[in-house]
Amino acid sequence: MSHDDNKMHAPGTFVLALIFLLWFIVIYFVQWFALWDNWPIG
Amino acid sequence: MKDYSHQFRTCETTGLKIHLPAQKLIWVNAVSAVVFLLVGAVMAILIALTRWPAVHLLPQHLFYRFITAHGMNMLVFWIVFFEMAGLIFGASAVLKTRFPAIKFAWFNWILMIIGALLVNYAIFVQGVDVMFTAYPPLKGTPLYYLGIILFAVGALFYSFQFFFAVGIAKKEGWHQGTLPLFTFGMLVAAIIAVFTLLEGAVTFVPTFLWSVGIIPESWMLDSTALYRMHFWAFGHSAQQINLAAMVAIWYLLGTLTVGAKPVNQKLSRIAFLLYIIAINLGSIHHLLVDPGLTSTYKIVNTTYLAFAAVIGSLIHAISIPAAIETAQRKKGLTNGLFEWLTKGPWSDPGWSGMIISFVIFGFIGGVTGILMSTEQLNVLHHNNLRVPGHFHATVVGGTALAFMAVAYYIIPLVLQRKLISKTLAKIQPYIFGLGILMVIMGMTFAGLMGVPRRHWNIELPGIFGGADAMLAIMGVGAIIAFIGLLIFIGIAVLSVFFGEKIPSKMEVHNPPFPVKEGVSDRKTATT
Ligand code: HEM
Ligand SMILES: [Cu+2]
Repeated sequence: MSHDDNKMHAPGTFVLALIFLLWFIVIYFVQWFALWDNWPIG
Repeated sequence: MKDYSHQFRTCETTGLKIHLPAQKLIWVNAVSAVVFLLVGAVMAILIALTRWPAVHLLPQHLFYRFITAHGMNMLVFWIVFFEMAGLIFGASAVLKTRFPAIKFAWFNWILMIIGALLVNYAIFVQGVDVMFTAYPPLKGTPLYYLGIILFAVGALFYSFQFFFAVGIAKKEGWHQGTLPLFTFGMLVAAIIAVFTLLEGAVTFVPTFLWSVGIIPESWMLDSTALYRMHFWAFGHSAQQINLAAMVAIWYLLGTLTVGAKPVNQKLSRIAFLLYIIAINLGSIHHLLVDPGLTSTYKIVNTTYLAFAAVIGSLIHAISIPAAIETAQRKKGLTNGLFEWLTKGPWSDPGWSGMIISFVIFGFIGGVTGILMSTEQLNVLHHNNLRVPGHFHATVVGGTALAFMAVAYYIIPLVLQRKLISKTLAKIQPYIFGLGILMVIMGMTFAGLMGVPRRHWNIELPGIFGGADAMLAIMGVGAIIAFIGLLIFIGIAVLSVFFGEKIPSKMEVHNPPFPVKEGVSDRKTATT
């Protein structure tokens, strides 16, 4: 088995990871806005 | 050494050497798991239909009793029995080795089954309504706690037996070198299990003594905060076991469905090890509004320390799809970014179950879990329906579905029975996935509107009107998910008992790396 055979080649996975990151960022900020909405200060 | 060479059969598909006494043990643990899944499923549909205001099925007292039965039968008995089957499989067939101490293993199963039956007896006959967490002053009967203790002892013994079996595989020369990744993952699960079950003893032995009157009421009432902390040192670590087992199964399914090989084994192993380091870190997310703990303690535990486990999961989240993508691309599915995924074997329930479980676990369960562990954000949903919304994404859409997906392989390959209906198996992960997704969404959004968890009737306060639609989505989803579970249970049980037998060759199998005569064990271990 040549070395290349074993090499990871996964551009799709990389894009999926970016989508996941984006999704996380969106949900994360939505939570803080929801908190702000539910527990207004002042 | 005794001669075990005639106790093996060779699996024609995988080439695995299966030790027949181990196969029986896998059978009995897997079948037990599915039986308790059925009890848990019936409870699930009943409580879900009660929480759907338009139906509001059960009377008040039965609602709390059945929530208790649902939590225990699902999260403890179904999941843990299945994991025991996984431990035995990982320490025998995967290593092509014999499983030692067969009688002890049967004894452990008996302990666990008696424990599980006692708990169900206590709930259904004696009327224990303490719910999954059993926080004092809620008090069960002695048999309830005794049942949990017996079950936990059996599982603890199985974990020790797993270590012993791996040791025997090396010592007797059945297996050499590093452990295969699946077995390694199960080893991590077993190590976490030891910690978890010891914490379980710290939690349930005192409550047992309280229930029989040895520990006075006043002591227990003074120690409720301590109970809650120990309960979650046990309860959350138990979820780390489920996590490690599920991830190990994802790797296995990647291999079984499309021949994926981990692209960087070392990194995957490090990611598993992070689960051990993070064994109990993060468990305080259950106590973020608990007045007994300081903010500093909560924040350090649930953010900085818990991230060790999160990083582990993120590594797996890349390495599993990357392995699958690499394998698929090698087969020529190279068009665009996602042909490897879109042209996957979608009619193989092992594949569809794995992918759906991966997506529900990662995109919903994982993300919501991290957010809920943030102290400030936690007040948004503490004890409301978003909490079950979150954990039905992790332990149900994630773990339970992954277990079902791998069962479609275990039944033919290990238990030697053809599935009685391939067509039903094909659609089952989609039905269950859709249903549980609706349950998750319904719970999550109802929770966002403030609907509390574990409440029989939310009409009384009259302030959750807008949530009715969400609870209806949850109710309809529950019906669909329930059908999905029934299909799985039907296929599993009928196949195991009545499915066509798959013949297999009995083949003499000896340790391929025999221990040389006259060489001491220690020396072989180091050479
Ligand atoms: C058809 C599938 C399922 C449905 C429809 C379902 C539905 C529900 C509902 C309605 C609740 C009560 C929520 C509340 O009022 O607080 C609940 C609680 C729970 N479920 Fe499920 N569930 C399902 C499967 C599972 C599975 C497979 C597991 C475990 C692997 C599980 C674990 C739990 C736990 C631990 C609780 C909390 C019990 C408690 O609060 O004491 N569920 N589920
Ligand atoms: Cu937890």
